[in-house]
Amino acid sequence: MSENKGATILINKLKWLNNTSKLIFLTIIGQWSFYGIFRCPFPVPFVGCSNCPVITCWGRISSLFWGFWLVLPLSVILFGRAFCGWACPGGFINQMFGKISPFKTGPKSRLNKFAPLGFIVGISITLYLWLGWNNPRLAIPIRVGEFWQSIALTFEHADSYWLARTAIVLSLTLASFLVVNVWCRMFCPTGGVLEGLSRFAVFRVYKNDICNDCDNCRQLCAMKTRPAETNCTNCGDCVSQCPQHAVKIGRKGK
Amino acid sequence: MGEKTHDPQRRKVIKAAGAALAASVLLPSKAPAQQARNEQLQVWSCGGLAEAFRPANKHYEQLTGTKINYTGAFAAALGKSLLGGAETEIFAGRVLKLAQKLISTGKMEYFKPLCFTRYVLATPKGNPAGIATLEDLTRSGVRVALAPEASTPGGPAVIKLLEIAKIKDEVLKNTVIKGSCVHQMISEITSSNSDVTIVENRITRLPSVKGQLDVLPIPENVQPPPPLTFTIGVMKAAHNRKLADEYLEFIVSAEGQKFFDEAGFIPALSEKGKELTEKLGVHDV
Repeated sequence: MSENKGATILINKLKWLNNTSKLIFLTIIGQWSFYGIFRCPFPVPFVGCSNCPVITCWGRISSLFWGFWLVLPLSVILFGRAFCGWACPGGFINQMFGKISPFKTGPKSRLNKFAPLGFIVGISITLYLWLGWNNPRLAIPIRVGEFWQSIALTFEHADSYWLARTAIVLSLTLASFLVVNVWCRMFCPTGGVLEGLSRFAVFRVYKNDICNDCDNCRQLCAMKTRPAETNCTNCGDCVSQCPQHAVKIGRKGK
Repeated sequence: MGEKTHDPQRRKVIKAAGAALAASVLLPSKAPAQQARNEQLQVWSCGGLAEAFRPANKHYEQLTGTKINYTGAFAAALGKSLLGGAETEIFAGRVLKLAQKLISTGKMEYFKPLCFTRYVLATPKGNPAGIATLEDLTRSGVRVALAPEASTPGGPAVIKLLEIAKIKDEVLKNTVIKGSCVHQMISEITSSNSDVTIVENRITRLPSVKGQLDVLPIPENVQPPPPLTFTIGVMKAAHNRKLADEYLEFIVSAEGQKFFDEAGFIPALSEKGKELTEKLGVHDV
């Protein structure tokens, strides 16, 4: 009985925990994400930090780089796309844009149906740039510098390929104002890889047989999906909101 | 349009996110606690000098309370920006001609010799291939790593050095790793994927490879021609000329030059530096 009560309290606190987690990770790895988009000289950021000349980047001066690539595979084995829903600073920014967006997509957004196609495109381009093209340096690395000036100098001296890459990423992020979380739901290469591997996750948010397809969960969901379906990040937002109490968290079938 | 869902936490979360993002991004660039003079100086330099300028600036800030806003990046790019209208108060660049051009176009007041770079042989710790001289790079079975496609000081200058030594073709035959980035290449040495490389001495002093390399000198008669020279100058845009002069004098003083020595450069103040200053004609015009 007290165990159930404890579980209920935990479920009711999930949203608070999730937001707290995202804020903590935004503080810890937010700057690294920022460098990845605006100052990383390589087309594919976050994969070559140990050799990067930008010596003030947190991925370079801390153990973030190695820690990230150690913890991420572990997180997907245990919790599927939980990184996207609980930790990714880019995902959080996308979600914030979506929340303040004046335009909302309908609750039965069909975008998720095309997500695998988008992910394949995003992953293919990334793999080509990283492994096929050897992730060449396409911008002048501002090794040390003031905040705004470094961004301005990076853009001023960047190769047109780097400018195109950055424009695409920023455009798709800003597109969250129009289509909620479009980057995370369709194009993010990391999200795409995690999506593909999430089916092997040990723990997950799922819905059981008493689900009556009311779609309340999809309406609440930042990714406009339902538990254990494409783009579910196991954020747990929907667990306490299901009128049928059909959404559970844990090992399905256990 | 879908029904708008009520989320009471939204405003709180957005505010907290903004604060967290601002803290995450801006905290590292905050000014030091004590700024007795409450003055600032903008310093730009060639990125290769960053390992010397960062501790030197910190020391200067502690001594004077002046805040140094420092940017280190590819000198040619910074030079292009300065010639195109960007402004800074102090500029320390590689390539003597750039400093001279900044003077002739009225962007720079004056410059002084700062330091010189030199090329060395770097091997994995313990030197397993027994490299002793530059000629050993031509020996059968020696695995050489080079970065011919890297920017001038890392790539073309090294090729020129091999040409001067008349061993270019033999060494290129032994080159098993041809990279486009000196940093990537040096990690091939520390991980023992190759036996030897030719790099600027400063690269062997980077924190990421410190203690993982053996360094052997290369004779001066085969050192490549410029860019070996670094200069430091006061720009016309200096808001406080006296402050800029004082900072420059600190950097070229014995106290400031020790940071450049520690980072692997030949300080202009040293005997060798004075000799190179004359030999390479590093004089203001």
